[in-house]
Amino acid sequence: MKKIKNILVLSFLLNTSFSYTQLFKNLSSSYESYSAYYLDDSKTGDFNQEDRFRSNNYLNLKSYLGRNWNFEIQIESYAPSPLLNYSPNFKEIGLSTFKIDYNIDDLNISAGNFYEQFGSGMILRSWEDKDLGINNSIRGLNAKYRINDEINITALIGNQKKGFKYSKGYIVGFDSEFDLSKITKNNSTFLMGLSYVGRNDQRTKSSFYPEMTNLISGRIDFSSNSFYSNIELVNKSKNPIVIFGSLSDNFIKEGSAFLFNSGFFKNGFGLDFTFRRLENMSLFSEREAFGNVYNESIVNYLPALTKQHDYSLTNLYVYAAQPNVSFQSKDLTKAGEIGMQADLYYFIEEETFLGGKYGTNLSINASVWNNLDGNYDYVNQNYDVDLFGFGEKYFSELSLEIRKKWSTKFDNIILFVNQFYNKKFVEETTGEVESSIVVLENTYKINDKKSIRLELQHLSTKDDTKNWSAFAIEYNLNSAFSVYFSDLYNYQNPTEEKKVHYYNLGGSYSKGINRYTINYGRQRGGLVCTGGICRYVPESTGLSFSITTSLF
Amino acid sequence: MKFNYIKLLIVLFLITTQSTYSQNNIPSVNIKTLDGKPVNSRSIYNKNGLTVYSFWATWCVPCINELDDIHKEIEKWDEANVKIVAISTDDSRTKRRIRPLISGKKWGFKILLDENQDLKRALNINGIPHTIVTNGNKIIYRRIGYKPGEENDLYQFIVKNSKSKN
Repeated sequence: MKKIKNILVLSFLLNTSFSYTQLFKNLSSSYESYSAYYLDDSKTGDFNQEDRFRSNNYLNLKSYLGRNWNFEIQIESYAPSPLLNYSPNFKEIGLSTFKIDYNIDDLNISAGNFYEQFGSGMILRSWEDKDLGINNSIRGLNAKYRINDEINITALIGNQKKGFKYSKGYIVGFDSEFDLSKITKNNSTFLMGLSYVGRNDQRTKSSFYPEMTNLISGRIDFSSNSFYSNIELVNKSKNPIVIFGSLSDNFIKEGSAFLFNSGFFKNGFGLDFTFRRLENMSLFSEREAFGNVYNESIVNYLPALTKQHDYSLTNLYVYAAQPNVSFQSKDLTKAGEIGMQADLYYFIEEETFLGGKYGTNLSINASVWNNLDGNYDYVNQNYDVDLFGFGEKYFSELSLEIRKKWSTKFDNIILFVNQFYNKKFVEETTGEVESSIVVLENTYKINDKKSIRLELQHLSTKDDTKNWSAFAIEYNLNSAFSVYFSDLYNYQNPTEEKKVHYYNLGGSYSKGINRYTINYGRQRGGLVCTGGICRYVPESTGLSFSITTSLF
Repeated sequence: MKFNYIKLLIVLFLITTQSTYSQNNIPSVNIKTLDGKPVNSRSIYNKNGLTVYSFWATWCVPCINELDDIHKEIEKWDEANVKIVAISTDDSRTKRRIRPLISGKKWGFKILLDENQDLKRALNINGIPHTIVTNGNKIIYRRIGYKPGEENDLYQFIVKNSKSKN
């Protein structure tokens, strides 16, 4: 009832003379709608859940009320049901977020739902990702104050959003940033940050551990003309480990994180290196949300530090960061991850033998991630891990990408990837996969408006479900219309019935700020990862369409 | 249930038809330089001509294609007196690649970082690539997505509107 009331109030406001007051003079909005009609599939099975038609809708309204005040609301509807893979906490229609901002000089105060990140997000990040069904905004108060050019502070308190609900416990945070560049010379920048986050979980009261979990983090950041380096250290206070879905009363451990990053770049060349170690680092606004498949109640952001791929076959065996303690069996015990990643970018000059007329872009990425090495005592549920010991390998990858423009009309992207994926440790199932992937992307511009893009991919492996092939063809008819057809095929799957074509046919129309898409096809199930966050999705077949529009 | 849904659509319809005076300025949001220093979004614009804001990320293939295509003919864009600001929405998973990547590509654009997508959200940007053109802080053009060749439309728009400005 309350939700209907919200809508009625809103439509009333819009219909009265209010519309033309200051409030609506500076109103802006955006609307996104994603719908699907799921079908039975003779190959992959019938759709056996409620509601074949499902739709997610987001309406965001913002108003700039003069110089100092901003107001924002977001209404969401998941009717009759949310799309597959979205949390059941997204139900029907309701006011999802609201926020009032007050800005004066160097002070900014927000009341309502706010998004925030401290440092690289290892102790706090609240953000929204509609594709992943993540909106872990905090509802409460957030105040930012710029003391002077060198010092900025932020303080916040609130409850975390979970669907249309909120966490029972609260999150409190404080962040400070100091610009110490005056100490250094030659245009270099030297920044320092100190943060604190407290997570109070009243739902899980116990005499074995406190309600409050405290995280402290310190970071330094140095940049000069062609070099940069940064370090971040985190300590997390004692917290119970989740064993087979329940909180342990005697397996209680501290957590920690260490991140080091450095890079060098100069005129056509760039190199970046990152090292990270995570031990028992995941943090949820409610302890019992640990390991939930919808990525709800996440307080901190611990993404996989690997190359983020854009092609379907390079996203089959994707690494997901392993920040947790997990004791599944005697030979499957984890306490976190340790590893590194390096990126190299190089531009081969124009008018050289390898560069050709337009030059050639090369990029190489290498990463390796392992379990923490140490003594794992499965029977007594305890561990003692080394500070810099590399345990069982989770994942490694080496890739080379070449971007080459041959003429004003034709260009190529060639990608080679070599992967090792420890399915047993990452997905907590069985098996290891060693694979090689080749991608060739060709774009041909027919004229200023028309172009064709053809993507060819192949994955070869002797493990898991063997070889895959994939292709996609996209035809851009003009600046507004585009159509595509793609297919993903596990042609060597040892089970004959599982040799399935995951085909998709669709089109899009975009004009200015409006975009409409339609797609018919079959989606692959399994671990699907976007933006460093992964989730398990079931296979599905259906017709889907989306609308995206925003007003100036 | 269905009733609620219809209500929402009605509200949406009312909004789209009534708000003729909607957001047409760059909102005030703090983003960062690649060194990590705060910059206010309203202070970025070109004082001597138009500004193009291109929202991109290191993992977004069409975004990089667009910026590459502009970069390949950068002289003609420079002549049009336009300032190109590439605003990266890379978060802490991928932001470390920005500096090596732009160096490897030799892009000369001004690059800023919107790490937790505060400016992207304030501008109601749903997906990238997303391109905005402003005269001062006033938004005069917006486009979602990028297809090969669309940089020419953008260039034509800039040439036409730069002339009318002078």
